[in-house]
Amino acid sequence: MIIVNYVVAVLLLVLGLYAVCTQKNLIKVVLGLGIIDYGINLLIVSVGFNDGGTAPIYTMSDLLNGVASSFFVDPVPQALTLTSIVIGACVDAMALALVIMIYRKYKTINSDEVRRIRG
Amino acid sequence: MFSFLTLDFVKHFPVVAVMGLFLCAFLVEIFGSKNKIIRNTITLIAAFGAFALITALIKPVLIDGNILAYWMGNWEPVEGYAIGIGYEIDALNMFFALLVVTTILLAAIYSIKYMARDHHLGHYYTLFLMLSGSVLGLVLTGDIFNMFVMIEIMTFASVALTAFRNNKNGALEAGFKYLIVGSIGSSMTLAGIALLYAQCHTLNMAQISAALANGLTPTTVLAFALMFAGFGVKSYLVPFHAPAADAYMTAPTSISMVFSGMVNKAGVYGMIRLVYIIFRAMDLPALQLMLATFGTVTMFVGVTMALAQHDFKRLLAFHSISQIGYVITAIGLATVLGLEAGLFHAMNHTLFKGLLFLTAGAVLYATGTTDLDKLGGLAKKMPKTAICFLIGAFSISGLPPFNGFASKWMIYQATYQKAAETGNFAYAFVTIVALVVSVMTLASFIKVTQAVFFGQLPKHLEDTKEVPLSMRVPMWIMSALCILSGVFYGFVEKFLLAPAAKAVLSVTNYIDKMMGEGTAAAAGVVDYAANDVVLTLWNPVLWLVLFAIVLIAVCIVILTGDKTRGRVLAKTETDSEDGKYATFFGGEQSTHSHVAGSDLFWGFKHDFKGYFKFIQGMHSGVVNDYALYAVVGAALITVLMFVFVH
Repeated sequence: MIIVNYVVAVLLLVLGLYAVCTQKNLIKVVLGLGIIDYGINLLIVSVGFNDGGTAPIYTMSDLLNGVASSFFVDPVPQALTLTSIVIGACVDAMALALVIMIYRKYKTINSDEVRRIRG
Repeated sequence: MFSFLTLDFVKHFPVVAVMGLFLCAFLVEIFGSKNKIIRNTITLIAAFGAFALITALIKPVLIDGNILAYWMGNWEPVEGYAIGIGYEIDALNMFFALLVVTTILLAAIYSIKYMARDHHLGHYYTLFLMLSGSVLGLVLTGDIFNMFVMIEIMTFASVALTAFRNNKNGALEAGFKYLIVGSIGSSMTLAGIALLYAQCHTLNMAQISAALANGLTPTTVLAFALMFAGFGVKSYLVPFHAPAADAYMTAPTSISMVFSGMVNKAGVYGMIRLVYIIFRAMDLPALQLMLATFGTVTMFVGVTMALAQHDFKRLLAFHSISQIGYVITAIGLATVLGLEAGLFHAMNHTLFKGLLFLTAGAVLYATGTTDLDKLGGLAKKMPKTAICFLIGAFSISGLPPFNGFASKWMIYQATYQKAAETGNFAYAFVTIVALVVSVMTLASFIKVTQAVFFGQLPKHLEDTKEVPLSMRVPMWIMSALCILSGVFYGFVEKFLLAPAAKAVLSVTNYIDKMMGEGTAAAAGVVDYAANDVVLTLWNPVLWLVLFAIVLIAVCIVILTGDKTRGRVLAKTETDSEDGKYATFFGGEQSTHSHVAGSDLFWGFKHDFKGYFKFIQGMHSGVVNDYALYAVVGAALITVLMFVFVH
């Protein structure tokens, strides 16, 4: 049932935001960011899903002869999800790299102590 | 003379400019990571190229009023459905693209000497050109997912550049906070785009606008709220602003200028495109009031935080946030005058804040610090920089005849006119807040001028030298533009602002040019009603109101002075916080009183110490808090949207 996808997507989104807002360990904050991305990826893929639809892969002759079924899943959200996954992975990698650098400089990854700029 | 610049030819320019910047970003990394000359040459060619290509479009787009529609790979719409990625350049895109390319060019020239002492400059220029390309792409694209990708590249490059001088105190944490809050913003935008796609089955802005003409469903309202919050993060509205101030402060100054000159303008552009064109919702009074409220809060919080700062660049950062508040307020009025005022102020902000950041960079380059407590008397050592700084400070404080005065005056008029039209007292209140914020901006810049350029020259700055020529040239250009656009505001209004404001209001034209004639009419989209602009810069009655308000402010300050004025304080009293305050305000005598040049408005701050303690405590520097503000802000926007937008 497709409604499950939407519910889980929103749950993941909320869980990720909760992690970012409450976890003091910077690694966990980055993981929260990742979970937000997964929630949104699930949302986008679900948008394009058609129950019982085929994959949108045809040859020209299929289309001309009318062999192909006209009922297929929407390929655009799949392309969007791929892009989004790549971007999400890059964001996580960069955030983790920054956490390593912060650890070297501050000797801690507790967000309460990583706050030299404030006020 | 330019007969070869036909429409069919020039419509390729925008995409070439964007791709050229991205291409050169990689070329710099491949060929220029070792060799300084190759690196600088490629960067300058890319920056000049983008500048030339975009300025070549001034005539066809801004003067002749054409809209350029460009489909990547020539994938034109089939049966009313956009299947390719489209670039659509109307006067609004063009206006922001001009700001972007000017900033890129000046920042590139400035970087060459300013960054010369750093290492790994190949990476710096790669990231700089990627940032430039992504912002230019963001303001030119007509495809909403393409816009999201550009936003992500922009966030990425911004974060990496913020943390570029990673040995500098706080650069890493600023980058990290910017990345976390920025990513929450882009995730919201993406979720909004997904929901829009689910409803409209297209990613083209023009087609979405046509599809949404039948009214909004709950899903599209949620999408609207999420995207509104997303672009709010990108234009650093309160409560999304905190990490931006850190990033402005710790990034290399050429990048701070790029942030204030074009990165937050990209957010403003996205906001205008979203509320005016994609959702075509700006004739709802509730939405107008919502934008104006967010803008007013932003300008007030920004300027009060700026008053509390002791670092030159962080102070400028909070002023930047404050000025964006003006822009958003004016745009939220949904009148022609308001739109023109907002766009004018956005342009002026690019000019004067860029100039101020460049002078801050010059001070940092010459002295090695931006701490206001350690600087002083630099006007003797760096007179040319000091003059440029004064021009920038006069402009941002809104003194005539500089450009900040012209645009702020238009904003006062627009808000006042809106109050008169709607009879809503809230807009008159906005005018008053805008005036008070302007006064506080002036106060804050008097403090900076005193602390950096006048006052006593500290011993360790005796051998300070003026900065090299290639750093001064961008400052001169910016200064000249600040004065010219202030003096010839009528010219600017006619050739830049009026076409851009007209483009914002004529939604049908935007849809028809992209999706084919008659699409808008078939979908039932109508243009906004355009009212006339009344440009009267010198209205004595309004001046009188201004003076009355300033007078009231002065009276309040005097009346809040200490009750015990006139007596001589004991030594223990003088040293206490309240005793220091009494000498400063009530006129009590004391043997010694310490108020440093960098703390000129100490007494004023003492009056409102409760507020300042609260607002400074809010900027706690903890990344979880900043993320929480972003989430709460987004939730608030969502609730307001569901209550007021139908």
